[in-house]
Amino acid sequence: MTAGEAARKVATNPVRVLGRSTLGAVRMVGSVGVFAVRGVTAALTPPWFFGQLMRQFVAIGFFSLPVVGLTAIFTGAALALNIFTGGGRFNAEQVMPQIVALGITRELGPVLASLMLAGRVSAAIAAEIGAMRATEQIDAMRTLSTDPFRYLVGPRLLAGVLMMPLLAAVADTIGIAGGWLVATRVLDFSSAVYIRNTLDFLQGWDIGSGLVKAAVFGFIVALMGCYHGYNAKGGARGVGRATTHAVVSSAILIFASDYLLTTLFTHAAQ
Amino acid sequence: MGVVVLALAAGFLTYSLSVGGVHMKRGNYEIAAKFGEAGSLAPGAAVSVAGVKVGTVSEITLEPKTFLAVAKLSIDPTVKLPSDSTAKITSDGILGGAHVSIAPGAAMDDIKPGGQIENTQGAVDLFGLIGSVIRPQGGGSDAAAPAAAPAPAASQPAVSY
Repeated sequence: MTAGEAARKVATNPVRVLGRSTLGAVRMVGSVGVFAVRGVTAALTPPWFFGQLMRQFVAIGFFSLPVVGLTAIFTGAALALNIFTGGGRFNAEQVMPQIVALGITRELGPVLASLMLAGRVSAAIAAEIGAMRATEQIDAMRTLSTDPFRYLVGPRLLAGVLMMPLLAAVADTIGIAGGWLVATRVLDFSSAVYIRNTLDFLQGWDIGSGLVKAAVFGFIVALMGCYHGYNAKGGARGVGRATTHAVVSSAILIFASDYLLTTLFTHAAQ
Repeated sequence: MGVVVLALAAGFLTYSLSVGGVHMKRGNYEIAAKFGEAGSLAPGAAVSVAGVKVGTVSEITLEPKTFLAVAKLSIDPTVKLPSDSTAKITSDGILGGAHVSIAPGAAMDDIKPGGQIENTQGAVDLFGLIGSVIRPQGGGSDAAAPAAAPAPAASQPAVSY
């Protein structure tokens, strides 16, 4: 038996494949966990790089506003039309403002805003840090005794956690405005009634729980971007792979943690 | 672009708050109204005169001796209600919540702040009403319509916008 045959046998043995993938998954979770702890420690303890922090606030928060606003307004408008159709099946078109408001603030505002952020910001972070890794800038940083976690990861994590709730609040407002536009221009709702129904119906926690979710999603987006960029291997192709992984993994984690958080909030409310 | 989005959001928010009247005017005065049945009336529900919102229900308590529901109504100070006005709990439709609608009376004197509306009409128990129409002998409320005209009688209380 040659070495190649032996290797093929090892690669196709189902028990070995199962073991290897399980170990790989566990190792992945562990290394993300360690990375997150190091990043959070760097973000929360001095010294801080305020210039970096401000730059990330602008890059993650301000420059994401257009895409978040566009997503929110079209979602709100489509949601209003759909709920109007669905409500009409049991003569309850009038509850449309309330359902649009609830759906946008508790679920769609935070989730869609952070998904857009996963596409925009997570990929950008992964590409930026991955390129620095590929060109050995991160090693150079270490040589100059600048901790890359403090300089690169910490500010991005902080910016993600702090900016995402603000973006979600904007998405909530614009999303409800989208529903209001369709309701008043297309469906002949009265503008004042629509707004009064929305405001009377919404409770503080409807908005609050959405913003708490958004903070968690913001952390996920920034963390995934940093992790995959920092661990990028193999030059330009590695950078490409890192951006893909960053976007896909942050999207999956957003959906999974969204369900977990919603369950938690529902139980806490009872 | 980001500035445009922020401006749009801020504009819509300001517009909503000015229309929705979240800024509770200070100096609202409170009056009480006792109801035999409060139904689904909840604090925060609107108080309206002729369909125009003039205040909100600030709290609902039970009077232990008479078992009447006492609703505190917070009313806009520019609205003076005659002392023989009638407060009525009506529903905003089948799935909507309840609100208090006040029919102004004709008396010369107004209800003073801290006063009470004497004439009230509690919430209509829609399902009890429907039940008493379907089975008239089954001991319904005296508001039940005669069995000869069941359909319009049953639909009338429901449509009280």
